Amino acid sequence: MRGMGGGFGGMMGGMRGLNSGGINSPTMDNLSDDNALGAVYNNKVVLRLISYMGPYKSDVIKSLIAVLIYTLANASIPMLILLGVNNGISSGDFWSMHPLHLVGAAFLGVTLVHFASNYLQFVFMARVGQSILYSLRTQMFSHLQDMSPSFYHRTATGRIMSRSQSDVLQLQETFEMLVLALADVLTLAFIIIYMLLVDWELALVSLSIVPVLFFILAYWQRFARRSFMRIRRAIAMVNGEYNQNITGVRVVQSLNRQDENLRHFEELNHEHLDANLQASRFSGGLQPMVEFLIGVGMGFGVVFVGGLLAKNGNLEWGVLLAFAVWIQRFFEPIRHLTMQYGVFQRSMAAGVRIFELMDLRPEVVDKPDAIEMPPVRGEIRFEDVNFHYVEGVEVLQDVNLHIRPGENVALVGSTGAGKSTLVTLIHRFADVTKGKITIDGYDLRDVQRESLVSQMSMVLQEPYLFSGNVRDNIRYCYDDATDEDVIEAAKAVGAHDFIMALEDGYDTVLAERGVNLSVGQRQLISFARAIVGDPRIIVLDEATANIDTHTEILIQEALSHVLEGRTSIVIAHRLSTIRSADKIVVLDRGRIAEVGRHEDLLRQGGVYARLYAINYGLNLDNGVEPGGGQLIPAPADND
Amino acid sequence: MNILMRITRMAYYYRKRLILAYLSFFAAIGFSLLVPWLFGKSIDQLVVIEGVLEEGGRLIPNPDLTWQILFVMASLLLGASLCRGFFDFARTYTTDSLSQLVSYDFRNQIYDKLQNVSFAYHDKEHTGNLMSKATADVEAIRRFVNMGLVRSLEVVVRTIAVTSILIWINWELALISLIFVPFLVLRSTLVIGKLRRMWLHVQEVNGELVTVLQENLVGIHVVKAFGSENFERRKYDKKAQELREEYYQSERLQGTNSAWMSLYFTFALCLIVWYGGWEIIRGDLTPGQLAQFVLYLNQLTFPIRASAQIINSFSRAISSGRRIFDVLDSSSPVEEKPDARVMGRAEGHVQFRSASFAYDARSATLQSVNIDAEPGKVTAILGAPGSGKSTIVNLIPRFYDVTDGEVTIDGDDIREFTLESLRRNVGIVQQDIFLFDATIRDNIAYGVSNASEEDIVNAAKVAQLHDQIMSFAHGYDTWVGERGSTLSGGQRQRLSIARTVLVNPPILILDDSTSSVDVETERQIHQAMVNVMKGRTTFVIAHRLSTVREADQILVLKDGHIVEEGNHVELMARRGIYRDIYELQLRPQEEVLLDASLVGGDGGDN
Repeated sequence: MRGMGGGFGGMMGGMRGLNSGGINSPTMDNLSDDNALGAVYNNKVVLRLISYMGPYKSDVIKSLIAVLIYTLANASIPMLILLGVNNGISSGDFWSMHPLHLVGAAFLGVTLVHFASNYLQFVFMARVGQSILYSLRTQMFSHLQDMSPSFYHRTATGRIMSRSQSDVLQLQETFEMLVLALADVLTLAFIIIYMLLVDWELALVSLSIVPVLFFILAYWQRFARRSFMRIRRAIAMVNGEYNQNITGVRVVQSLNRQDENLRHFEELNHEHLDANLQASRFSGGLQPMVEFLIGVGMGFGVVFVGGLLAKNGNLEWGVLLAFAVWIQRFFEPIRHLTMQYGVFQRSMAAGVRIFELMDLRPEVVDKPDAIEMPPVRGEIRFEDVNFHYVEGVEVLQDVNLHIRPGENVALVGSTGAGKSTLVTLIHRFADVTKGKITIDGYDLRDVQRESLVSQMSMVLQEPYLFSGNVRDNIRYCYDDATDEDVIEAAKAVGAHDFIMALEDGYDTVLAERGVNLSVGQRQLISFARAIVGDPRIIVLDEATANIDTHTEILIQEALSHVLEGRTSIVIAHRLSTIRSADKIVVLDRGRIAEVGRHEDLLRQGGVYARLYAINYGLNLDNGVEPGGGQLIPAPADND
Repeated sequence: MNILMRITRMAYYYRKRLILAYLSFFAAIGFSLLVPWLFGKSIDQLVVIEGVLEEGGRLIPNPDLTWQILFVMASLLLGASLCRGFFDFARTYTTDSLSQLVSYDFRNQIYDKLQNVSFAYHDKEHTGNLMSKATADVEAIRRFVNMGLVRSLEVVVRTIAVTSILIWINWELALISLIFVPFLVLRSTLVIGKLRRMWLHVQEVNGELVTVLQENLVGIHVVKAFGSENFERRKYDKKAQELREEYYQSERLQGTNSAWMSLYFTFALCLIVWYGGWEIIRGDLTPGQLAQFVLYLNQLTFPIRASAQIINSFSRAISSGRRIFDVLDSSSPVEEKPDARVMGRAEGHVQFRSASFAYDARSATLQSVNIDAEPGKVTAILGAPGSGKSTIVNLIPRFYDVTDGEVTIDGDDIREFTLESLRRNVGIVQQDIFLFDATIRDNIAYGVSNASEEDIVNAAKVAQLHDQIMSFAHGYDTWVGERGSTLSGGQRQRLSIARTVLVNPPILILDDSTSSVDVETERQIHQAMVNVMKGRTTFVIAHRLSTVREADQILVLKDGHIVEEGNHVELMARRGIYRDIYELQLRPQEEVLLDASLVGGDGGDN
């Protein structure tokens, strides 16, 4: 028998602990604490899991039949021993039609049935289990695709990962457990039935002590539960500390914190040790009890009472042997069930977490009667748009904006003015809370989101690349883009040359998130990706990260290509971008303050002029030296 | 094997427990062997055979049997069971605690090693990989101590003991019922090997699935922006299907193996009843002995089932042990000299003398660099990514060691000093600001464990952060890091400055790159930097014009060489790389001068 202490602090709990910090972590999202432990049995979770069996009904039924036959065959084996001993061992010529052969042949038959049903039970169970996990996985993923960006903003990726990864893996164990538990319960039932049928008096005497066991188990599980929770908490702390120390190692070393950190870690580690030792004592403590019960059942039940009955000729000795085997087998499922206690508890908790995530409603959903967006011309209108994430805290207010097809719009404003929110609303990352946004006259909420968004594109400030090669990254989801299209897009943004200079050209495999490329190169690839589908509307958050001079020039050139002939909205940081825009929209605390061209806005001397000045470290009140072509400027007034 | 020896040596430290575990399982086995024996004896007390059955004899109840005998037998059985239970408990507990203690030690050692090993090591290793060594591999070691070190012996002893008893009772029946055992062990060993390979493959596919998931979640904005949800769904679905198939195959193999295993035991029981029954009929076996056979066979189930697991635990321990010892044995290229001195508070005169550095032997990152930074002076370092800027500053606190030449502080080679005392003299505000999962106060005081509240507040004030901290609901007790509210980029950077101010090092390294912060933050950061540089020898990896211009000397790096040095005015006059950089990157920040003149109507010339 495997020691229970081992199962407790196993991998699953450990890995999950990684992302979940401590016990009472304050959470911003709608998900409950990852460390919360459920009950050993949660009806809702089990029923919901069972509902997943629907599509695999026939395999489920086959698997149940196999389990039934298997457990019956299993419980029948002592019966065959009994028959063999009682009827087979008798006088007579062994080489003729001796009754022993009859029993032996029957035994052999049961053995084969036992084997076949055992094998089938495994196969069907694995098939059903894996199919259900597959359904769960893909449904979970699909659901995650429906969730809005605001959900991802609130929820740490690690938490979602752990729910869709480790929790699903945990459920895998659950399915096996459920079937095995069913088998255990059936085995118990069959054994009891057999014992009662064979000799009900002896059965009652031998099993009289079993209720005591259940009583003890009920009491024990209260402590066990606490013990499990303690281990989970401890391993989460240990792993959290580990993770933090590895990621923060540069700070740790530069500030000489090693000794103190080790002391702290040893404390956490020791708590983990203590928790495990306590659990080991709990689980180990059951063993003497079970052995005691076996001893009582076999000693005083079978040998003493059974012996007295046999002495008087009321019982044959085969019955005693069969009872001994039954009693041994009787405790096996019980032992098994208690050993899987921790798995059960973790599984139920995992189930709760998974379904909690799957029950979150996406914020942006296509209407049932949403139409497919016809080819986009690129006219965008904001009409009295308001938007907020949190009730009462308006991010955008009374926004009215008309962008003509093909117009290049620069969006400026200080941090928090609502620039990013405004552009993401066009892509329907969220729905407006008041007013409406239309494209070519269609309210965004009346069309199927995918049909609309596939005709637009967006380049984020931080370029994000997927693993795979350069070509796949440029093509991304436009499956019908040919290799020529990809190369053309790369050429258009000026990425072709550096791509060809890479080791395998377009087939160069990118390291994790493209870290083997410079930021600028990644940016160029994401530009190419943005135009490979020839979108009519393009939204761009201009990168401000440090890019080497050469790429900087490339990017500036690429930008004009990218924007050419398309409606574009750029969250602009560079002067050149702002100045060349057809229209500058100035956002100030969620409202549109000014709209116009660069020179006009500067002359107006309003928000833009002020923003413009301070953004470049200039104090207008001090006046400015007419710097002409002067290359050695006066010391800047930064304060 | 060497690896297993090393693990065993760690366990040997707790040899008392180990011996206790061995003793208690010996006792547990002994008592558990008594149970079938006593039961068989009881049966033989109950029934006797008159004559030989084959020749017309018959089984009858033993006329001499008294209830006292039965009572004694029952009590002995109960006693044996109880003792077995007790020693089982002792065995479980000592084994569990032994394995837990060993993994406890491993965890501490790995933790300590990782926080002391040089940056070069961490550059190479992914966090995820190190984490899995600290979790999965330690767990594998724990299982090995439990299964491999203690259980394996138990399995061997039990198997030998049961087999000998059976042979002693009746060698013919023993041979018949045990003949398949070697095949069974061989078979499951082979299956385990195959399963391991399958399992590795499952994990590979699972890893790919996780990658798809993770990239999708991290890049969810891209997904949303392209409306590529269905594309992503298909991508994930393909992998999920593959994973389902792999899992199914490995589970089926496992199931098949398990079914064969139990087939053997059922079949052996069948043979015992059939052949054993005939032996009773012939008079070569007593009913009690038959009962003993049935019950003993049951006791072989565990060792045979466990043997596969045990073999597995050995092979996993070897691979996991290797991974762990790789960490523990990795020699840090940055080692303290045995006779290293403690550096007092330095003046702060930093010099690089023909310092070279290479990450690997093939390409040098820095080539023969000479720098002279006088106490209190500011050195700005400029250059394209990869030109060696960070490398230069990382050499000062010995995060890496020069491969040639030397770096000196106040004239002494920094390798002469203890790492701790050196680093106490060098403060760093890093580009990647790492906040610990703790309060703001704890984060500021991270480098000084006994800092007073006043010192902390002062440091925050110098870093221009105090007012903002006070505006939080919990002030300095605001929780930051993973679990807490996240600070903005600018706030993080200033927190990092405060952290360094508190340590008060005479030498300071600053990385002033900040991505897009608003004007006010920009101003605050700049002020904080000006404050903190006061009176310290400072190296700045500079991106801001103001910082560069105010520097006492500017070093322009290209491909690991210093190509230009001097102050702003000198370098501008030279019309070299610096001026190019200035024109392209720094100057746009200044273009405003021209435009402002336009606004002012002073007649600019553009």
